[in-house]
Amino acid sequence: MSAAPGEAVIETIGLKKTYPGKVPTPVLFGIDLRVVAGEFISIIGQSGSGKSTLLNILGALDIPTGGVVKIDGVDISTLTEDGLAVLRSEVVGFVFQAHFLLEELTCLENAVLPILIRKGEATSEELEWIRSLLVRVGLGEKLDKYPDTMSGGENQRCAIVRALANRPRIVLADEPTGNLDSHSGEEVFRLMRQMSSEVGIAFVMVTHDERLAHAADRILMIEDGLMRPVAVKPRIAA
Amino acid sequence: MTITALLPLRIRFECQLAWRHLRSGGGQTWLTIAAVASGVIIVIFIMGLIFGLQKKFTSLLTEAIPHVTVQVPEGKPIPYADIPGSKGGLSSSRSELQAPQRKNIDDWRTVLSVASEIPNVQTVSAAVSGQGFASKGANPVGVSLTGADPAEQERITPVTKNLIAGHYLGLASDEVVVDYELAQDLNVAVGDRIRITSISGVPEPLRITGIYSKGQGRGSAYVTLRTGQSMLGIGNSVNVVYVKVFDIFGADAVAERLSVLLDCEAKSWSSEFPNFVTSLQAQSASAYLISGFTLIASSFAIASVLIVSVQRKAKQIGILKSIGARSNQIMLVFLFEGLGIAVAGSVMGAIAGITVVYLLSLPKQAVGRGGGSPEAIFPLILDPLYILAAMGAASLATVLAALLPARSAAKMNPVDAMR
Repeated sequence: MSAAPGEAVIETIGLKKTYPGKVPTPVLFGIDLRVVAGEFISIIGQSGSGKSTLLNILGALDIPTGGVVKIDGVDISTLTEDGLAVLRSEVVGFVFQAHFLLEELTCLENAVLPILIRKGEATSEELEWIRSLLVRVGLGEKLDKYPDTMSGGENQRCAIVRALANRPRIVLADEPTGNLDSHSGEEVFRLMRQMSSEVGIAFVMVTHDERLAHAADRILMIEDGLMRPVAVKPRIAA
Repeated sequence: MTITALLPLRIRFECQLAWRHLRSGGGQTWLTIAAVASGVIIVIFIMGLIFGLQKKFTSLLTEAIPHVTVQVPEGKPIPYADIPGSKGGLSSSRSELQAPQRKNIDDWRTVLSVASEIPNVQTVSAAVSGQGFASKGANPVGVSLTGADPAEQERITPVTKNLIAGHYLGLASDEVVVDYELAQDLNVAVGDRIRITSISGVPEPLRITGIYSKGQGRGSAYVTLRTGQSMLGIGNSVNVVYVKVFDIFGADAVAERLSVLLDCEAKSWSSEFPNFVTSLQAQSASAYLISGFTLIASSFAIASVLIVSVQRKAKQIGILKSIGARSNQIMLVFLFEGLGIAVAGSVMGAIAGITVVYLLSLPKQAVGRGGGSPEAIFPLILDPLYILAAMGAASLATVLAALLPARSAAKMNPVDAMR
């Protein structure tokens, strides 16, 4: 799916989230955010500030308690559960702190999984595209390996390719380098930056790593349930 | 991935993942399959044993007796006052029954013709039947005498297969075949002569040409129809027509039809042995109950294993949903997992069950009665219908057991699942 430059892939207006309970816990107080195609955004903030909650809502995994969230121009509050699943399948890609690869599947099968979920089988062109991505991220020799025989960095690179499998318009990455050593972390980050610029996919990355955060196009900080921009100080070359 | 290419695209991913779950499950998968297989083995064994016993007992009972017996109804005395047209006045209401005595069927060829036209009737035979005394020397022994054409009688109550000496087919008019117990009582063997006196008082010297043993009854003797008619003094008539049917549980219907068509008294074997029929029904019900409880128990075991499996795969369910899997796809993955276990367990259980039943049916033991050949200790039978039913029921129970965990997997919130 190609995206026109400047076109909003995700847009939130006054997004609020309060977790229910005996004492309701408000987390997000009104987030306004606009992510355009090909943009790379870092979100930083203290633990418990609501970064992951925001990412889950942006990826249609969770629903807001107030405000509007539009993914690819569609207000997610109007969608059924299956509709949200289609959105997650076709528009959004996810990368998590843990790679969450399926241990029963090989590296290639894991990377192709979103296509199989969407339509049952991958065409030879799609398989070729996934293979080429895996080769590009240095996993050309690991296609038939299972996750437990690969390193953390290799698994995370495979998870990034999986997030790109359906050619989404946006990839949401929740601390993708959090479990990796600094070298692997920088490698994974560089890879995401390359994909963003080459394929035109927007990336929203939550991170605690300020060095990586400052290598994004935009940095946003969540503080007290609200979002504010932070000046970018590039330190890592893309 | 080659075999799965044959699957419809709509369920291909679900089947593939279910297969991978089973394959990676290793010992747990095998244990669950073993639980299903055990249920199938028990069901096949219980069904094989109970229905084998039923078949043996039913066969033992019914092969040696006519399935339907046709006789002329015995008239019952009625008080004088009840006779239409009787004059009034004092009369005794007491009626005295005669000693049981079979009435003659004069037109028995018509009876044979009508009976043989009724569906389910295998063969019919006319015979004379009565009581008498057999003696060799001074000690008479009570004997139940049957006079019939040996070839026809053979199809009603087989004698030849139970012979331990001599022959029955080709019996001459001055010959008799007696049972083992009667021969023992009279201390006679094949070739000896005995004297049989019927209730009509006519003594008949007969040569023993065969001795048989059925393991039941005592003091029976077979003669030709002509000899029997002569001994009982009933001319060319007979006093009973025997019917053998194909389906012994359809004998009641045949008896009813004969009663209507011939205005006679036709009794089926089941009306003679009502307790036996009741016990057969109770045994069948027990077999079904035991099988049902076995399958329920194994399905609970399977459900608990699959519930744990779903809980262990919570993170995977979350990630699958985050990359676009719909709830029904997740449910199908776990249902197919259950189906895979059901099919594998049923097939393995059926193979093992058939093997167990076959091996257990091999040991033989000598029968208690004289001269009989050894019989199986466990009279087991293998009925393809019961085997298929056991496989189907076990598969259904397993899939139903998988439904609960599959539904809970489908309902999982992806964010909660991945925490």
